[in-house]
Amino acid sequence: MRQGRQLDEIRINKELLNGALETPAWWKWAVLILFTIVISGFVVFGIQTNKGLGVTGLSRPVFWGAYITTFVFWVGISHAGIMISAILRLTQAEWRRPVTRAAELLTVFSLLTALSFPVIHAGRPWRIIYWIFPYDFARGLWPNVRSPLVWDPAAIGTYLTGSTLFLYVALLPDLGVLRDRTTGWKHAMYGALSLGWRGNPRQWRLQTVAGVLLSALMLPIFVSVHSIVSWDFAVTPGVEGWNSTIFAPYFVIGAVHSGVSAVVTMMALMRWLWKWDNFIRPEHFDALARLLIVVAVAWFGFTIVEILFSLYTLEGPELAFRDMQIFQWPWAGLFVVFLLTGFFIPVTMWLFKGVRNSIALMFWTSILVNIGMWLERFLIVVPALARKQPFVYTWGSYQPSIVEFAMMAWSFAFVSMNMLLFARFFPLIPLFESKEAMIFTTEMKIGRTTIPAVLREQE
Amino acid sequence: MVTQQDSPYKWGMVVDVDRCTGCQACVLACQVENNIPLNTENLYKQQRIFAWIRIERYWEGEFPNVKARFIPILCQQCGNAPCEPVCPVFATYHNNEGMNVQVYNRCVGTRYCANGCPYHVRFFNYWEPVWPESLRNQLNPDVTVRSRGVMEKCSFCVQRIRRAERKARGEDRLVLDGEIQTACSQACPTDALVFGNLKDEDSRVSTMSHDTRHYKLLDEKLGTDPSVVYLARVEEKEGAAAHG
Amino acid sequence: MASRITAAAHDDRPTFQEAAVDIVNAPSTALSSTTARWFLILGAMFVLGVVGFVLKIVDAGMDDRASWGYYVAMVSFLLSTAAGAPMLSIAPVLAKANWIRPVMRISQLFSAIGVLTAIMSIPLIFLLPPLVEDEVRRRSIWFGSPAYFPHMWDTIAIFGLVFIGLALLWSSSLPDLAAIRENGGGRRQKWARRLAPGFIGTWGQWKALKMRMGVLSAFYFLFLVFTHVLFASDYIHALVPGYKDAIFPMYHALTSLQAGVASVILATYFFWKYGGFDRYIGINQMWNLAKLQFALSLLWFYFFFSAWIVFWYSRTPQNEKVIELFDHGPYMWAFLGTLFFSFIIPMWTLMWNFIRVSMRGPTILAVVIIFGTLLDRVRLTVGPWSIEDINEKFLTEIPETVWPDLWDIFMFIGMFGGAAFLFLLVTRLVPAVSLWEIQQSRLISKPAMYMRGEVEIVGKPD
Repeated sequence: MRQGRQLDEIRINKELLNGALETPAWWKWAVLILFTIVISGFVVFGIQTNKGLGVTGLSRPVFWGAYITTFVFWVGISHAGIMISAILRLTQAEWRRPVTRAAELLTVFSLLTALSFPVIHAGRPWRIIYWIFPYDFARGLWPNVRSPLVWDPAAIGTYLTGSTLFLYVALLPDLGVLRDRTTGWKHAMYGALSLGWRGNPRQWRLQTVAGVLLSALMLPIFVSVHSIVSWDFAVTPGVEGWNSTIFAPYFVIGAVHSGVSAVVTMMALMRWLWKWDNFIRPEHFDALARLLIVVAVAWFGFTIVEILFSLYTLEGPELAFRDMQIFQWPWAGLFVVFLLTGFFIPVTMWLFKGVRNSIALMFWTSILVNIGMWLERFLIVVPALARKQPFVYTWGSYQPSIVEFAMMAWSFAFVSMNMLLFARFFPLIPLFESKEAMIFTTEMKIGRTTIPAVLREQE
Repeated sequence: MVTQQDSPYKWGMVVDVDRCTGCQACVLACQVENNIPLNTENLYKQQRIFAWIRIERYWEGEFPNVKARFIPILCQQCGNAPCEPVCPVFATYHNNEGMNVQVYNRCVGTRYCANGCPYHVRFFNYWEPVWPESLRNQLNPDVTVRSRGVMEKCSFCVQRIRRAERKARGEDRLVLDGEIQTACSQACPTDALVFGNLKDEDSRVSTMSHDTRHYKLLDEKLGTDPSVVYLARVEEKEGAAAHG
Repeated sequence: MASRITAAAHDDRPTFQEAAVDIVNAPSTALSSTTARWFLILGAMFVLGVVGFVLKIVDAGMDDRASWGYYVAMVSFLLSTAAGAPMLSIAPVLAKANWIRPVMRISQLFSAIGVLTAIMSIPLIFLLPPLVEDEVRRRSIWFGSPAYFPHMWDTIAIFGLVFIGLALLWSSSLPDLAAIRENGGGRRQKWARRLAPGFIGTWGQWKALKMRMGVLSAFYFLFLVFTHVLFASDYIHALVPGYKDAIFPMYHALTSLQAGVASVILATYFFWKYGGFDRYIGINQMWNLAKLQFALSLLWFYFFFSAWIVFWYSRTPQNEKVIELFDHGPYMWAFLGTLFFSFIIPMWTLMWNFIRVSMRGPTILAVVIIFGTLLDRVRLTVGPWSIEDINEKFLTEIPETVWPDLWDIFMFIGMFGGAAFLFLLVTRLVPAVSLWEIQQSRLISKPAMYMRGEVEIVGKPD
């Protein structure tokens, strides 16, 4: 049986636009609190710039720590967008419809956050900014294209551009609706942004083609962005724990795991906060949970192969690195938490239909997954550096400081705040997708059973 | 990466581990010569000390037959340096004299080079270096003082190299063997550190680097091609201690 | 909204009865004189292969590792094409894809070739050097285990995979064999009676069938990955000193999926053109298969590059030796072949819609990709098997190119002949297009009209 009520177009518009046209009461308080955290983050960053990176827990030889972990984490979350909107669009999965815009939005903001971390973690961040804008061509010196740290912004920048374009193209029909329902400065703003959208067949065809093309073009980016970020680690022969050829697909599949879980978290919040029960239904969580099971199992397979081959040479530093990561306190504790929260607890729970259709349980398991995935990156970055090469005299340790925790909190607040600000002006669930969904999803009677069905254009 | 112009010099060093007593005179001399920030107790606790050349000390054996093993480790000035390709801003590169140079004013502090270096010889300024009033006159005017956020490492006392090269150019000749002494080689009381031109067949460095005891650190596994050659410790013959 | 969907004007899909007659009595299931001739030719090819094998033993003995490299490449090739093909009956089902239904049996038929793979894997037990030789232990994924572990576990894996594949084929053909038992005649009916004695299509039996297929599919997938990890690690990776490549087993598994899809495309074309199934297999199947093929070909490059960039960037002596051995050294011809046939050509052709939406386009590319996979297995296997000293710590000497000798060529011919023979044999027993899947897809989808456009309603049951 089909879940939710069948709504007509007028009701769809009313329910989905209530976030953009009327502000819910809780919204102001939420944004205020998040804004405070964001501003505090900027202040803390200012203190760090003034005093130096000594305020963090970084040392020698652990030169990279929580900042890089969080950078990789946010790049991972950003894979939600392409997975949901591009891949599910190309495979014509109907259940993607309510979440495509929110997923793309999460992608855009998490990429912006991710891009800020190389600046936050650099020793002289002011140099990075004025060294790039404007670029000093007079010395005849270009950035070192052999450095993975130059590949990173290229890849992430491409992904960001593509995602923004994709978000905008998908937003056009809804901007037209908003333009027609507002007056004053808002009307002017939506009018300018909607680029003259009239909703005639020619424009719809162009919009669909643009969406499909962007989806297809973004697929190589889907694979390459996190691979390039993983090569920050994999191409260093000096760090045995990082020098693994499997990092690229391992990180990508971890990113899909982390990103899709983040979308589940976001969907649950959207349903609760804006009361969109008709649009975000248990069947969506069920479908996402099944996708997550496949992805998580694949991810776990990659993890096992990665550990197996990292022990392959049985050399001292590699064994010491794994020993630290898995058996030494407190890393051992983090390792157990990572395995439980990242895989065993969520996946075991998702095997049950009752869990998959329970919004609250999906919300909490998806948060567990992201805790686990942050720990996964942390356990890859730090112990490998702490047990680098056979110079035992110089091995070290690491503990994040309050400054690093503050910047991590800043990143979460930054993404959330931006999403809420967006929701104030634009509908988080695409109107036209919901209307299409009403047409495309139907029912079918076979014998005495009625099963859900979808409409496909004749091949 | 090599540059176009060929140079008559390839600076290298020989470290005779057998002669090293672990006295750390080299460490101190280096700190004084190169304006290295002070290693306070706090800095030790934070695991952030600076030691462009450091003496690694390992204990061997059980009490009462415990032995201490010392090995001085400094920047190996690798021919195939893993720290060079990863710097996004070319703050570290290979010059035509076989050295891996660090350009302080280009460094933005990503610390990627430090991760790449397998010898742990790169040091990061986590804090703004501060010298007490009494020590300010000790600072070497030939060497810059690095700010916070900048990576630094052993430069083979490049200021001394440049000074000697200038003098030699003025006198229309090449730098002679023994004319340049790095701070560490100058301070070492047992002459365990020898610096010189590896391209000069007759230099002390070249001759000593062909010794039967010679080895290079991590070269076989990582292929870094260091310019620093180590001479292995001569092992005591059994029963030698009994004979006094 | 729902009221805008109306019933279709006409439904020209075959009815249940028509489909049953078509599929059970399709030309490809008969034993005509043409097929008898093919059986003779393929049988002769296989015999030639056996002759080549025997003469090779006489010529080189079982101890000369270098001359058996091509034989191991053949087993790897079979694992990569025939063993990867049944995955097509597993993966799209998870996505509730309807287009796959006519092709499911075709992909499962490849399990029959597993018999040849299993037989050919037995000599490997004697060819693979033990883990410990002259008190020196090679690095391997078995760490401190007994020296015969790779031989034992790899054989268990291959035999297990073949067994599960055959079980999957048998399970999925039960309803069709029951149809033949009731309606067919002659020899086929006799065999159907033996293979499907009790299936009468009760609700309980259908449920058990679905569950059995689900469990066997899951196990097939797990065993496939397990086999590839083991085979790639023991028969290739562990023979190269100083080689540490975590992605290599996954690369081996992924390229087997690519070649598996290519094999299924090739078989699908033949059944469409010559098998009499053109009402059931069509452009829709080929188009979707071509999309999968495109994606997997791109992934070839992705997995190759992930390994290559780490080795190339590191500039360590052993990694440079590894790149030389596999890419630009003695097997550069095979590497360039793979690069072009498994990646560049498929990418630049399958990129275009007009090639994907055709019957011949993906088929020609499938042949190209299978050839590319063959070259890939040659370059990955023959090099490591010709290394002189596999127990040293680092690879120091790159071996010279080993070219296939006459017995190797005989064995190649025999392998293709034997595989095709088995495939052809199993189509005599089991219909190549699954009758019950066709009937289910007919139930689950039906044509309709949305306003004035023709659409299809496809059910998505849980």
